[in-house]
Amino acid sequence: MSNESSNELVVNPAPHITSTMSKTRIMQYTFAALLVITIVTSILWISVSCPTDSQLDSYPTLSNVWQMPLGLILLFNALIAMGVAVGIDVLFNKVVSDSELNIWSSAVFGLIVALSYSLGVPAMAMGADPIPVANFTAPNAFLFVALIALIGQVVFKKVQGIGGRKLVNPAAAAKLLILLPMLGSMLLPSEHFASFEAGGLAMPRLAGPIAATEIIGSNGGGGFGDYLIGCFANPSSMEAGNLNSLMLFNKFHGWPGGASSLLVIIVGIALFALGYKYFKWKVTASYFVSIAIMSVLMSTIYADADLLTRLLFTLFIGSSIFLGFFMATDPATTPFSGTGQLIFGVGLGILTVLIQTYMNFFGGSILALIIMNLTVPFIDRIRIGKPFGRK
Amino acid sequence: MANLVVIKEQKDIARKTPIEDFPDPKIAVVLVNQQTGAANTPIVSVGDIVSIGQKIADSKQRVSAPVHSPISGKVLKIENVFNSCFGYETEAIFIENDGKKTKEKNLTPISESELAKTTNEVLLKRIHDAGIIGLGGAGFPTSVKLSLPADKKIATLIVNGAEGEPYDTADERLMIEKTKNLARGVRVVRQILGNPKVIIATKDSKVEAVPKLHEAFSQEPNTEVIAKHLTYQQGDASILQKAILDYETPPGKRSYEMGTIVQNVATINAIANAVFEGEPLISRVTTLNGDVPEPKNLLVKIGTPISDILKQNNVDLNDISSVVVGGVLMGQALQTINDPITKRTSSIIVFAKSKAKKGQPTTACIHCGRCITACPVRLHPIAIHNAVTKGDFEKAEKLWANDCIACGTCSYVCPSKITLAASVKMARK
Ligand code: SF4
Ligand code: SF4
Repeated sequence: MSNESSNELVVNPAPHITSTMSKTRIMQYTFAALLVITIVTSILWISVSCPTDSQLDSYPTLSNVWQMPLGLILLFNALIAMGVAVGIDVLFNKVVSDSELNIWSSAVFGLIVALSYSLGVPAMAMGADPIPVANFTAPNAFLFVALIALIGQVVFKKVQGIGGRKLVNPAAAAKLLILLPMLGSMLLPSEHFASFEAGGLAMPRLAGPIAATEIIGSNGGGGFGDYLIGCFANPSSMEAGNLNSLMLFNKFHGWPGGASSLLVIIVGIALFALGYKYFKWKVTASYFVSIAIMSVLMSTIYADADLLTRLLFTLFIGSSIFLGFFMATDPATTPFSGTGQLIFGVGLGILTVLIQTYMNFFGGSILALIIMNLTVPFIDRIRIGKPFGRK
Repeated sequence: MANLVVIKEQKDIARKTPIEDFPDPKIAVVLVNQQTGAANTPIVSVGDIVSIGQKIADSKQRVSAPVHSPISGKVLKIENVFNSCFGYETEAIFIENDGKKTKEKNLTPISESELAKTTNEVLLKRIHDAGIIGLGGAGFPTSVKLSLPADKKIATLIVNGAEGEPYDTADERLMIEKTKNLARGVRVVRQILGNPKVIIATKDSKVEAVPKLHEAFSQEPNTEVIAKHLTYQQGDASILQKAILDYETPPGKRSYEMGTIVQNVATINAIANAVFEGEPLISRVTTLNGDVPEPKNLLVKIGTPISDILKQNNVDLNDISSVVVGGVLMGQALQTINDPITKRTSSIIVFAKSKAKKGQPTTACIHCGRCITACPVRLHPIAIHNAVTKGDFEKAEKLWANDCIACGTCSYVCPSKITLAASVKMARK
């Protein structure tokens, strides 16, 4: 035997090949998907100035805001949130010895923060409305987005990650934490009821019969569909718009990530197809199916004038459509197994509709998500199905 | 089984390359133990002159298989070397080739016409004496596998021609070039098992082998050739039974208890050689593939140092990063290129330093759950990995770590590149 034995060989345990799918690639795909949504939404929103001239005239609390194209506000938000998230990641990597550098994951987190921060002053906003509408536009939005990204990255990603698995979705938890002081005025539209007496829009309650245009019983001061149009229509256009196309194609208020439901659906499905089996699409599927069933159930219980109005709202409100595809599928905070993911999605859907209906928290999916996140360690313990050959 | 992970075959060139005879080594390094079961001891001493086919290591235990000299010459030394069958060092007999090719003829060929009259006892003894073990990788002594309790009726013999491991094409070439030999080998096994139904199971991607099999087996009684889309994992005997016969063998149960025996094609080929040619198992077909100038299949003597094969085939020895034998998913990485060919070396896969892709580092689990959906025996590899990392082997056992078939799929799919299969292996008893 000659000297080849000096040739050092790499001796690793089997298997000796691995698939090309990596954590970085998963994050890059997700980033690309979110970037498409950010850019397309910015374009859809670029011609709408926020707030509009007439809103500035009639809205005393808007005196200190910057009037900017809505699309531009979103772009700035995205840059701010990504900058903060990536910056902190790099900083941690430098300062804390065993902190992994996760640039792509941080960038994804930043975009999620930006896309889940409600923007746009609604067309129906009225002078006497107590909603702090200034927070839906610059510069307050910039500040809040930076804060959410900061708290989310430090507390909910870095600190929460120390113990191993994260418990709650960082973007959702940080947003709730920061906006909690404004729960009553900003997150729960229950104040919209109060504003009725003050001359505002009296919103029909979801825990009652609703219709597209009529008032049923004594539920609210107008049709629920009309309320949605007032909420989401282009505030600078005189046309009220059509509820179906509004909910599906382009809303001008709420989560930018869900502005165009159709866009989210196309990009989301494309992403799942690209990383088939690596993305938890079962959560998304079961979430929307259970929302639809719950919605029809509620419509039946409350004797709605039609099934569609409630369905359009529950399925396509920006918070639901975006969260269902991009936040509820966060791998760290959702169950491992396929069956676990189905249970999770169903639970999330049911809770979302219950919170929307009984707490008047229209973006309630975010709270439902955190509650369901907390159940994941338990869901993961349920073993459905036995190993091969075991009965 | 719709969830089985498809892994690229990487067989394009090798599968089209006919089996080539590889010259006998100047020095053969024959491992004393290559079988699962009882241990052999050397029955020759340093200085002895041995001939081709002479038994050089054996055991008195039933669950064992002797080892024979692949060449004629002098026993130089008996020393420990790395044994790729087990992943650690064991005794090996070093034999210097005298070039005389003296043969020992202690196994008399049985003619095909005599087969029907030959008793199971004689056939099983022949299979044992020829040192035949499962050549698909398991290494279990074949004579023991085929010696069934008298009351056990075998309904099906599955000949496993799935060869799921990427790069490996040795079995495929046997099915193309030695189809007739396989047919007579199957006749032997069928006779031993009391004439069960025979299923030759292979992959539809083996386009040259499939028609040959149909042709060779069309005249055989109660025999079916099934060529279907099979994934890598379905090369495993139990997963293959599920794919072909649609039942799941409970862990711990031997497949014969379910009425089925699965034999790899290379083993069948060795059985035919032992019975009809009187040849003990001293050579096998192995695939040379990976980062090599010419992927090919070689008929090589067991005990040939792998370095001989690499040199002869113009592999740049200075550019080797690792060499894996027995399959890139389940096989063993060699410690040195001098480690020898064993009965279980179905392939030699070379990875070159110059072709190495930038390695992806192991990162924290992202909880994607892919390892769980990918496991063909429905384990939760990450949960077992976590238990093993904490040293909680009791928990790992409760998570059925022992049911693992060591297919490596979990590590293969993991986007965080966690060595899950290695952890599960640690937890296995
Ligand atoms: S190596 Fe074991 S645990 Fe991993 S996928 Fe294969 S059978 Fe499952
Ligand atoms: S495949 Fe890897 S990253 Fe995904 S859950 Fe399993 S161990 Fe974690």
